Amino acid sequence: MIADEATFARLMASAQNGDKAGYNVLLSEAGMWLERYFRRRVPPHQLDDLVQDVLMALHAKRATYDPARPFLPWLAAIARYRWVDHLRKVYKHEAQEIEDDDAIEDSDEEVTLARVSLERLFGHLNEKQAAVIEMVKIEGLSIREASERTGQSESLVKVNIHRGLKKLATLVEEAE
Amino acid sequence: MPINREDMIAGLTEDLEPVRRVTPRDGALLVGFATLVSGIASISIFEFWTGMFAGEASAFFWITNGMLLLLGAASTTALVAGALPRVGARANAPGWSAAMLGLIPVAAILTILSVEATHDHSSDVPSLLYDPATWYWECGAYAFGAGAIVFLAAVMFLRQGAPVSIERSGWLTGLAAGALGSLAYGITCPLDSIAHIGIWHVMPVVAWAVVGRFAVPPLIRW
Repeated sequence: MIADEATFARLMASAQNGDKAGYNVLLSEAGMWLERYFRRRVPPHQLDDLVQDVLMALHAKRATYDPARPFLPWLAAIARYRWVDHLRKVYKHEAQEIEDDDAIEDSDEEVTLARVSLERLFGHLNEKQAAVIEMVKIEGLSIREASERTGQSESLVKVNIHRGLKKLATLVEEAE
Repeated sequence: MPINREDMIAGLTEDLEPVRRVTPRDGALLVGFATLVSGIASISIFEFWTGMFAGEASAFFWITNGMLLLLGAASTTALVAGALPRVGARANAPGWSAAMLGLIPVAAILTILSVEATHDHSSDVPSLLYDPATWYWECGAYAFGAGAIVFLAAVMFLRQGAPVSIERSGWLTGLAAGALGSLAYGITCPLDSIAHIGIWHVMPVVAWAVVGRFAVPPLIRW
């Protein structure tokens, strides 16, 4: 069972004063809470890395916790920030790939990531962007195949993927 | 090679030291102090305009500087609150304050145009358009310079904190630096016509807001 809000807040306040034993418990419990938080947001194989990343951020920014306020919203805000940063890096990497290489080699990892990250946000894209992102980033077609299937030029496919991914990143960043 | 989570937690625990809490109050004091320093620097260079207490200042002087103060306070309050991770409603006071301040240059331009349209050009008195004070752009540059101290203080505080809305923090830093910098310089400026103060004392706010939006995010990302 994961600690409750009051326990988290008490442990964090004592950690700010240097209580190592309490801090150890806090980090372990926060790790479990974060696993649950990220479970539906990132592919399973990236979960532990992201949890560790947030725990390190928690450690580095522990002076910003105000004991007069609840702990979990503070932790959730850090987790969301690190998650968005993680997505930004993924999208940047994907966009770079499109610019660098016409024939994209899709790995299972990228396909899974694209599906998990994009699924709920696809409704915000226009049809052309959603179609080419789905074909290239999820189904694994090449730019040329997507171009033939949609009737869009290869350049337009690239532009639509680039703009679509950028819009998705913005949507994720703006979401509260 | 990826490390085990338990090992990482043990490492962080070992590394734990007591910390001094970062509070919004620290940030507000730092920005307030920077404004004070900026004001003192302006006075030492340009001299305090005593005329404002001798009944010489126009209403525009008080209204514009009052609005700059309000915008500076609203931006600083939102900025220091946003330096700590939190979820929930955001203050929109800076946006409304900036919009209200935006009315001043609009009023200035409308005044210049309407005066020009009805001015008797055969008289010896120049219209607002030909008044040297209207074109004294240097005030904008000086006020912009005065904002740099506030800007640095705000960035310094944000780096101590953990802002989670980076772009918003950038805008707020720019608005605070522009408004408080212009206010700090403004107390030395005797040119108080709507045409002068409404344009050249508000311009630095716009300029700093744009600088803040683009220059601050890379400086405070964590």
